[in-house]
Amino acid sequence: MRFNLGFFLSEAFKNIRLNLLMSITAVTTTFICILVFGVGLLVSSHVEGIIGSVREDVSVEVFMPGRGEEEVMALEEKANGWEEVASVDRISEEQALAAFKDTFREQPELYENLDRGVLPPSLQIQLTDPDMADEVAGKLKAEGFTEENLSYPQQTIQRLNSVTSYMIWGLYAATVLFLIASVLLISNAIRLSIFARRKEIEVMKLVGASDSFVRTPFVLEGLIQGLLGAGLAALTVVWLNFLFVDWSQEALTFVPISGTSVSTASVLLVLVVVGVAIGVGGSFLSVTRFLRKI
Amino acid sequence: MIRFSNVTKVYGKDTVALERLNLEIDAGEFVFLVGASGSGKSTMVRLILKEMEPSAGAIFVNGTRLSSVPRRRIPRLRRDIGCVFQDFKLLPNKTAAENVAYAMEVTGQRRRVIQTKVPQILDLVGLSGKMDKFPEMLSGGEQQRVSIARAFVSQPPILVADEPTGNLDPNTSVGIMQLLHRINRTGTTVVVATHDREMVDVMRKRVVALEEGRIVRDKVKGAYADEV
Ligand SMILES: Nc1ncnc2c1ncn2[C@@H]1O[C@H](COP(=O)(O)OP(=O)(O)OP(=O)(O)O)[C@@H](O)[C@H]1O
Ligand SMILES: [Mg+2]
Repeated sequence: MRFNLGFFLSEAFKNIRLNLLMSITAVTTTFICILVFGVGLLVSSHVEGIIGSVREDVSVEVFMPGRGEEEVMALEEKANGWEEVASVDRISEEQALAAFKDTFREQPELYENLDRGVLPPSLQIQLTDPDMADEVAGKLKAEGFTEENLSYPQQTIQRLNSVTSYMIWGLYAATVLFLIASVLLISNAIRLSIFARRKEIEVMKLVGASDSFVRTPFVLEGLIQGLLGAGLAALTVVWLNFLFVDWSQEALTFVPISGTSVSTASVLLVLVVVGVAIGVGGSFLSVTRFLRKI
Repeated sequence: MIRFSNVTKVYGKDTVALERLNLEIDAGEFVFLVGASGSGKSTMVRLILKEMEPSAGAIFVNGTRLSSVPRRRIPRLRRDIGCVFQDFKLLPNKTAAENVAYAMEVTGQRRRVIQTKVPQILDLVGLSGKMDKFPEMLSGGEQQRVSIARAFVSQPPILVADEPTGNLDPNTSVGIMQLLHRINRTGTTVVVATHDREMVDVMRKRVVALEEGRIVRDKVKGAYADEV
């Protein structure tokens, strides 16, 4: 049989117009559900982004009090040869003092009487993999350094890892739960609107309409409503993200929140696809279930 | 054209609506189904439309045994049977013309065919001036004429009507009956379930009388009640 898209589309739009209140309910439900889902995604991606940059920051610092320039350089060369090591920065006594002064420039009394030599030279060793901090620390100890000479946040990392993985999983679980609730809410809205038109559907069937002929305008209606609700929600989510990134860069300078941890295009795509899928799937299933009964 | 063979229909546990009923209606016939309320007329109509299955026996429409028609084939079956009801069953959000057009859309007719055929058929039922009116703006008789136009627009071989004049005044009823008669003269088999004694008596068509789910009388040029 001919698939008359023009007819089905005009039926779908007419239905939306005639059942405006129902349509608005469905669009609003979709909007709210997708919005919350989107915010959940945002929070998860930002938390992941923060954790990622914190973990990347992990380095092992070795302080070398009383060692001469050559010794420091020798160790730098050696450390550069270890496979766990990404890069090594050498910080001389002068640089250490400068950095100290810079950090406490508001309280000059702290470094007024500071002598050269109080702040030892150090090496800052960046790791290829933050989990290798223990290994590198072990190697440094073999070089004659003690635990006091080293600063490496191994314990912190481990704790951070376990806390954040719980957090991320919790966020994902909450988001998925919410998505399920959204599906139920939206399909319920669709089911109500179909129930309100059950008499019409029965008449359509009596004059010889096939199931798919009855179903198609409803599915198109679900698609339009899903597109509208999810599209608006997706745009809102992206806008909220911009606001948040902007604000955090001023207000939360110490938290490494980055605009790049959320990809605008993929957020838009995921949310719209999810919304449309719920709209189309929900109306398809509801009409089909209803048609089975008559 | 339509054949009931030993058909029994039991609703629920023990409401026997039809009992071992046999009836044969030939192509081109005009048949009244008459009988008191609850005698089983609507049940026969609904069985012909395969709105439900008989408890026992078989029904044949156009040579097809209805029990062998799968669910997805029912739409095709119904396109061969125009149907008219006491409560018109028009789509409330469509105009008279759109209601008629819908019955053609479901069969996948071309737009051009629909646009020429719909005004013709509405003209035939005397509604050419009210094509763009919605059902709620039409009188009962007008609505019933729209529903007859819809039932007949694809020229199905069979037309069944369940109390088509049930909600209408006597004068309007005459018009509806004349319409059904004209449709019958084009060769369509017409089955009308009715209470309308006057109409049946005037038309002098085949009358099948039901009583508690059984045929008690079947007369070729019959009347509503037994003639003395
Ligand atoms: N859906 C149903 N469920 C249970 N019983 C039913 C149902 N429909 C009809 N009946 C019963 O079946 C019997 C026949 O009903 P039917 O509707 O066929 O009568 P009818 O001849 O059309 O009556 P009327 O002239 O009042 O329309 C009645 O006893 C009725 O109560
Ligand atoms: Mg009845």
